Amino acid sequence: MTDTSRFPRSQVAIVGIGCTEFSRDSGVGVFTLATKAAKAAVADAGLRLGDVDGLCTFGVNDSIAPNILAQALGIKSLSFYVDQFYGGSVSLSMIGQATLALSAGVADCVVCYRALNGRSGVRVNGSGGGAGRLPWDMQFKVSAGYIAPSQEIAMAARAHMLKYGTTNEDFGRIAILSRAHALDNERAMMRTPMTMDDYLASRWIVDPFRKFDCCLETDGAVAIVLVRADRAHDLPHRPVLVQGAAWGGGVTVVNNGHTDLTESPARPIADRLYAAAGLGASDIELAELYDCFTYNVLSQIEGYGFAEPGAVPAMLASGAFDRATGSLPLNTHGGLLSEGYIHGLNHVYEAVEQIRGDAGIRQVARHDVALVTGQLGYVSGYSSAAVLVGA
Amino acid sequence: MMADVSERRTIPVPDRDSAPYWAALANGQFLLQRCRDCGHWTWPARPICSGCHGDDLAWEAPSGAGEVYSWVITHQPYAPDLARIVPYTVALVRLDEQNDIMIPGRFVSDVEIRQGLRVQAAPERVADDIGILNWKAAERPAAR
Repeated sequence: MTDTSRFPRSQVAIVGIGCTEFSRDSGVGVFTLATKAAKAAVADAGLRLGDVDGLCTFGVNDSIAPNILAQALGIKSLSFYVDQFYGGSVSLSMIGQATLALSAGVADCVVCYRALNGRSGVRVNGSGGGAGRLPWDMQFKVSAGYIAPSQEIAMAARAHMLKYGTTNEDFGRIAILSRAHALDNERAMMRTPMTMDDYLASRWIVDPFRKFDCCLETDGAVAIVLVRADRAHDLPHRPVLVQGAAWGGGVTVVNNGHTDLTESPARPIADRLYAAAGLGASDIELAELYDCFTYNVLSQIEGYGFAEPGAVPAMLASGAFDRATGSLPLNTHGGLLSEGYIHGLNHVYEAVEQIRGDAGIRQVARHDVALVTGQLGYVSGYSSAAVLVGA
Repeated sequence: MMADVSERRTIPVPDRDSAPYWAALANGQFLLQRCRDCGHWTWPARPICSGCHGDDLAWEAPSGAGEVYSWVITHQPYAPDLARIVPYTVALVRLDEQNDIMIPGRFVSDVEIRQGLRVQAAPERVADDIGILNWKAAERPAAR
């Protein structure tokens, strides 16, 4: 592989993780959720709140901003912040941007966080009061009664079914895999087994998606602490290096210039990601793929280079993604589908636990190199991903 | 009769760049921007040609004909005004004029939808200066 990327490879490490309970009703505000997760992550890192000089978050006017959280945490002057509009499509761009800031030396300790009352407060599906600000291109969607991400992803899923013969049962295998992985995860909201009959009996949400094709709605928060790698080795846990990250463009359903929705929006991200990391798909040992809907997983397995288009169903049927025995353990915590929906930062949390070797009964055998991803580009036009490697 | 606008989450909120598109639909016309220099069609409304990045765009009427590329059938009532019409079908339609323009719209015919189904633009007025774009089948429903 030609090494042309200027990404600051392996110069920054994740050294702390924290989260709240994931629930349907937190009983507190998003300010409280963010504060709890940030404190837990900084403590996990063996650092003090006074060490933090950067805060990064994202959301759809449903969370607490860095300037407010900074005051609560006693950070008198932030050196670096990101307050990014949008949901899970930018979850890994938080990690990427924090990495740039740290490697450039403009910040020394950055906390990335996502806090939301996604079930009891502002619901992303549009039915819970709305997020206040709509992206400009939403006018061209709402006019068709096309207002929820489920509808946009389902449109691409249908196109894949028509082109490759992908079936509802194939999507069902993804839902069942995630549920199986959530059963022994104490953080997971869904811990009862799911069969194919259960899946097929669940009601239609947006045909071709049933209820169990759709992720949970969750109240909760996750926070991630990053410092430069040279400082990480003095801290309590195995450093988890940001080997590479990429974020940016994808195609949306209201963006002319493309003709085939089945081409994974992960593809252009993957090329830059692997160049940044100096690794390829064959080097990845486990993957935490953004799974707001089942089809996203299938599309990313293709887009990040683990399967040719149309080849995922056979791999699912053969158990390729099973946590204990598969060649690529996938969504080892149950994912957004069965653990909870913290817009992808819970994927980072799980990847860090796995790489540290701290995942307990969920621990995968090969756990040095993980791919973690954000939402596909279909909804916002953005996507994001990182390769994390144990030091 | 028009629904109460306060619960019409599906009424688009135009800005000064996109208003001509919605106003035309309110008058029963389906108009798109077309580049006077290169002839390229642009959707959604933009201040710049998607083909040559020129600035000289005119609003013109395409044929309004296209074919269904994909579709979804929404059962979940995501908004008050949609609760009254679930389940409803949204079609993503590829325009005859340009194969990289695919526009979502409510599919409002009784014909069974399928990929490749020929459809025609069907504007619907929903407010004074705002119309929406629905799609209707170009063929008649099969005899029952």
